[in-house]
Amino acid sequence: MGHTVTSKDIPAGGEHLDRGKVAKCMRICAVVAVVGTVLSVLFLLLGPEKWRGSYAFSWLLAFFYFLTITLGGCFWTLLHNVSNSGWGTSVRRIMENVGFVFPFMLVFALPLLLPEVQRFLYEWMELHRGAADGRPLLGGNAVEELHHSSDPHDHLLYLKSWFLSIPFWYFRFFFYFGALGFVIWRLRKWSIEQDTDPNPGTARLFKQRFHSAWGIPILAVCLTFAAIDWVMGLDYTWFSTMWGVYVFAGSALNAMAVIIFLTLWLRRQGYLEKVVSTEHYHLMGKLAFTFTVFWAYISFSQFFLIWYANITEETRYFLLRNTENWNVLSIGLVALHFFAPFLLLIRSDVKKKPGFMLFMSCYLLSLHLLDVYHMIIPERGPSVGMAAETMGHEPVLWIGGAWLLDIVALVIIGCGFLYFLLRNLTSAALYPHRDPRILESANVHN
Amino acid sequence: MSTTVKRVYGYLAEFESASALYKAAEKVRDAGYRKWDCFTPYPVHGLDAAMGVKRSILPYFVFCGGLTGFLTAFLLAYITQVGIYPTVVQAKPANIFTVPAFFPIMFELTVLFSGFTALFGLLGLCQLPRLNHPLFASRQFARTTDDGFFIAIEARDPKFSAEGTKGFLDEIGGGSIELVEDESR
Repeated sequence: MGHTVTSKDIPAGGEHLDRGKVAKCMRICAVVAVVGTVLSVLFLLLGPEKWRGSYAFSWLLAFFYFLTITLGGCFWTLLHNVSNSGWGTSVRRIMENVGFVFPFMLVFALPLLLPEVQRFLYEWMELHRGAADGRPLLGGNAVEELHHSSDPHDHLLYLKSWFLSIPFWYFRFFFYFGALGFVIWRLRKWSIEQDTDPNPGTARLFKQRFHSAWGIPILAVCLTFAAIDWVMGLDYTWFSTMWGVYVFAGSALNAMAVIIFLTLWLRRQGYLEKVVSTEHYHLMGKLAFTFTVFWAYISFSQFFLIWYANITEETRYFLLRNTENWNVLSIGLVALHFFAPFLLLIRSDVKKKPGFMLFMSCYLLSLHLLDVYHMIIPERGPSVGMAAETMGHEPVLWIGGAWLLDIVALVIIGCGFLYFLLRNLTSAALYPHRDPRILESANVHN
Repeated sequence: MSTTVKRVYGYLAEFESASALYKAAEKVRDAGYRKWDCFTPYPVHGLDAAMGVKRSILPYFVFCGGLTGFLTAFLLAYITQVGIYPTVVQAKPANIFTVPAFFPIMFELTVLFSGFTALFGLLGLCQLPRLNHPLFASRQFARTTDDGFFIAIEARDPKFSAEGTKGFLDEIGGGSIELVEDESR
């Protein structure tokens, strides 16, 4: 074993990411994100019917992909605090930085507030609005309209209207960003204040731990219901009680992939050399491995129960995703998102190799994109495709050329995500150098 | 009038603390001894590295055990449910695409076989269970479950010598050095 890290090895002022190194990247990202978002909103409002509908799905795909990563960042921060962990103090700031991108994701969520976008994504809202506009006799009350409608689907919507109501949806939208945004903002603020306090002490550590305890249920509620509102809500007839956990498993896994990636990248740039060792790669690799298995367990359980029970209202999700080429994607996910990383990450020595873990984090992140794609994009054809294309008998499965729009949306929101992430990284020390447990973490052995 | 021939098991030396034991272990390792062991009342982190213990081959056994369980379950379910007696349940296919139905048992047998391989592989590699150990002949050795930190170097080690090893243990800070004899034969 190498030599033991002592307080002499930790710079008194902490390590800071050189702003000059990333300034250019941040500027480009900011310009792309701002210009791209403005143009996207214009396109979503004014573009040709078919393409703006397709683009609404692209936007949701890109937004939700990066949102899950930030949610996972919040999860790891909360878990680290609440479990009183010592091992990860050296990388805790990175977790906080990934998590603290979450409140800023509100910017990219704003297009979802436009009824012109909701029209394509959330059929139930369209039905609510249509019902409200339809007959002014009942005072424009959508819920009452749906109650008295003769269409059985409308009755279903009426029974679900305590949750699927437009004002409540808007309330929840802002609640997620407000509540969880506050939690992660507050935790990161305590963590950063510690860096400059001449008498750091342990008070903040205990405060972070205490307030993370109620932060965990906040995260659980926000993540679950955000996933239900924005993605499961694409088809209001379908439901799955595993949905929240399923999205959570992917979020935690890929936030860990980003944390591993950032740690290794910072190490390559010459930072964190005293406080992060191969032990940390190993520990984080183990967590990534764990969540690979957890993701498989949860996604299979979701599929299995629906597949076996074979109840009409539950099967639609998988029926669509097992039709024609979507089936290839579904099976591909099992092989590439579970079996491949499971076998690649099972050995302990490979988890200690920085080059390999860098590759694995990129691999996991690209597979997560495929996972989110599999959640969202199969709904695009039936929602946006013109019934005329198949004479109205069969749902449209694939909008040709729409993948270009997916890439555009991913680049725009990806640049925004990167901008806020780099902004967080440069705005404070790279690790909490005055945390009482930084030496414990630097000398961790497992 | 006992005529039992006693065989020397090795030397046992006591150390003051976990850190003293840790440092001594590094020295025993560097001196090139092979057949020796440390005894502590609680796990000491990093002691395996200080002793130069190589990684166990047990994980490979467990992987093979898990794979065996996985394939056993798959073949058992597949051959009976698809091959010999195709069973159609709720109009689900009776071919390879019915494999999700087999996943629970494939998972269970993977876990079961891995668990058994881990347990019995561990017992086998440690040559357990055994009814007695020569070190139990030492009275002071009982303290290893309380506050004693011991190193024992066995006589079957090629580098072992009656005087040399005793001197070596003394040199690296061992106290109460004791020659332990095997009473069983």
